[in-house]
Amino acid sequence: MHPSEMAVENGQRRSIAVRMKESWRAGDRSQVARLVIFVLALLAVVTFFSSIMTGAADASVGNLLRWLTGTETAEQALSLRDRIIIFDIRLPRAVLGLLVGAALAVSGAVMQGLFRNPLADPGLVGVSAGASLGAVLVIVLGSATFGPLFAAFGFYALPIAAFLGGLATTFLLYRIATRSGHTSVATMLLAGIAIAALAGAITGVMIFVADDQQLRDLTFWGLGSLAGASWPKILAAAPIILLSLAVVPFLARGLNALTLGEAAAFHMGVPVQRLKNVAIVSVAAATGASVAVSGGIGFVGIVVPHVLRLVIGPDHRFLLPASALLGGILLIFADMIARTIVPPAELPIGIITAFAGAPFFLWILLRGRSHMGL
Amino acid sequence: MIRASNISVRLSGKQVLHGISFEAPAGQLTAIVGPNGCGKTTTMRAIAGETHYEGNVSINGHDIARLKPWELALKRAVLPQATVISFPFTVREIVRMGLAVGGADRPEEVERIARDALEAVDLAGFSGRFYQELSGGEQQRVQLARALCQIWDPLENGEPAFLLLDEPVSSLDIRHQLTIMKLARDFCSRGGGVVAIMHDLNLTAMFADQMVMMRGGRVEAAGSPKDVMTDEVMESVFGCPMRVNTTPSGTVPFVLPHTAGA
Repeated sequence: MHPSEMAVENGQRRSIAVRMKESWRAGDRSQVARLVIFVLALLAVVTFFSSIMTGAADASVGNLLRWLTGTETAEQALSLRDRIIIFDIRLPRAVLGLLVGAALAVSGAVMQGLFRNPLADPGLVGVSAGASLGAVLVIVLGSATFGPLFAAFGFYALPIAAFLGGLATTFLLYRIATRSGHTSVATMLLAGIAIAALAGAITGVMIFVADDQQLRDLTFWGLGSLAGASWPKILAAAPIILLSLAVVPFLARGLNALTLGEAAAFHMGVPVQRLKNVAIVSVAAATGASVAVSGGIGFVGIVVPHVLRLVIGPDHRFLLPASALLGGILLIFADMIARTIVPPAELPIGIITAFAGAPFFLWILLRGRSHMGL
Repeated sequence: MIRASNISVRLSGKQVLHGISFEAPAGQLTAIVGPNGCGKTTTMRAIAGETHYEGNVSINGHDIARLKPWELALKRAVLPQATVISFPFTVREIVRMGLAVGGADRPEEVERIARDALEAVDLAGFSGRFYQELSGGEQQRVQLARALCQIWDPLENGEPAFLLLDEPVSSLDIRHQLTIMKLARDFCSRGGGVVAIMHDLNLTAMFADQMVMMRGGRVEAAGSPKDVMTDEVMESVFGCPMRVNTTPSGTVPFVLPHTAGA
C-alpha cells in the first residue's frame, strides 16, 4: 500500500475514533453502544461455535470446520459418534444456553428498569423461586394430580407452570413494594426474601413427598444446569422466551422515561400502567421458561446489565439487546467451564454463575452504597 | 387555554381541593401561589392528568380525561419539583428523552433542539455531565430543558402547548431565577401558555400576567398581580399582616417580609 493511502486510511480510522470520543464527551453514548452491540454479536457467534467444538469427548475441530465451510457434508466430515455428540448433545446445549442467558439477562435489565433500581433481579427478589415452585409442583404432582392437564399440555406443562409461578410472584411483589406510585427498594428486597422463603417451604413439602427418581430430578434441576438440554426442551421453552424477548424492545423508550419516575413518564406520554403490565408479564414468562428448562441459574440478570451500564450507559434501547447478547455469551461460556473443569463429570452451571456472580454482586453493593438509596 | 372547572380531589380520605376553578389562557403566565399545604401541587397534578379528580379539566377545549397519554404529551409538558434518578444517565440523554415524544425524527434537528434547550436554561456545555453529579438547581434546569424539548415549538401542532412548572425557581440562585422566568415569558410570547406554582411573590408579581391565590384547597383571589397582591389578601391568606408596595414606576407590586407586624 502506498504510504499516502495508509495515511488516509489511518486518518479515517482516527476520525471515527475521534468522533466517537467527541460524542461520548458530549454525553452521547449511542455510537459506542452500537459498536459494543456489534462486537458482542460477533463474540456470540464465536462463543457459540467454540462451545460446539469443546467438550470431554473431542470431536475434531478440523472435521467440524470442513462441514461448516461446506466443503463436505456432515456425513462425510464427521463420524456417527461425533455427529451425535455435536447435533444431539452440544448443539442443543449451546442453543439453550444462548436462549436462557439472553432471557435471564434481559429479565434482569427490564426488572431493574421497572423497579428503577439496579439491584432488582428475578433471582434475588423471589421470582425465580416462584417459578421453581410452579415447576416442582409439576414434577412431583404432575402425573398424579394434574394427570389429564399434564397430558394436554405435554412438554409445555413445565414451562407454563413455571411461568405462572413467576407471574404470581412478580405481581405479588409489585403490589407489596409499590405504594401510590412509589416503589420501595427495601420493601421489595425484604418481600422478595419472604416470598422466596414461602415458595421454598412449599417446595420443601414437595421434596418431602417426592419419590427417589423425582428427588434426583429435583436436586439436579434446582442447582441449575444445561445438562438436560434436548431439542424437545428447546421446542417447549424457545417460543415463550423468544416471544417475550420480541416484546421487550418496545418497552425500551418507556423504561427510559420511567427512570425519571412514574409521573414524569406519564407526562412524557408513556402509558405507564400498560408498560408495567407488559414488562411484568414478559419478565415472568422469560424467567419462568428459563427456570423450567435450566433450573436456578443465578446472578446473570444482575451482573450482565450492570457491566453493560458501565460501558454503554443505561439507555434501554441499547442496554436490552446488549444484555441479551452478553447474557447468552456468558451462559455458554459458563457451560463450557462446567463441562470441562472436572471431566468427565459436569459441574452444575448454577454453581459457576454463583461463584462468579455473588462476589461481583457484593462489589456492586460496596461500590454503589452511597447513591443506591439503601 | 387550560380550563379547570370545579376540581375536587380527595387524598386518602381527606378533601384536599374544594371545587377549584380557573383559566390559564395561551400567551399568558399564570402563577398559582398560596401558603404551604394549600393544594397548589395537587391542583397542578390534576391539570397534568396524573391525579384522579372530580370536575373537568380541558386543554384547548379537549377534556384531558379523554386524551391518551401520548396525545396529552404533545399539548403540555410538566416540570416536577425534584427528580431523583437511579441510573447514570448523562444530561444529554435526559434532555433527549423529551424529544422522543414530540416526534422530531430528523437527527440534526433533534441535536439542535437539545443543544438550544440546554442553552436556554444556561447549561450549555453540560451535555456530557452525569445528571446524578449535578447540584439540585442544575438538575432542575436539566429537567426544564427536557420539558421544553417536549413542546419546543409552542404552536407546532396548530394549537398552543402549555408548560406546567411546579416551583421552577425554588432551588435556583437569583440570576437563574431571572433566566428561567424570562424563558417562561418568552414561551408565552411565542404563543404557548405557562402555569407555574410560585413561592416568591415579588418574582411572581414581576413576571406573571395572572395570579391565582389559593388557601385551604380553594381559590381565594385571582387576577392580575396588582389586583391580587393587596394588604387584605396577604393578611387573610398568609395570616400575617404585611404592607404591599409598588415599584417607582407604579405598576409592579412587591412585599417585603420586613413589614410583617410582630
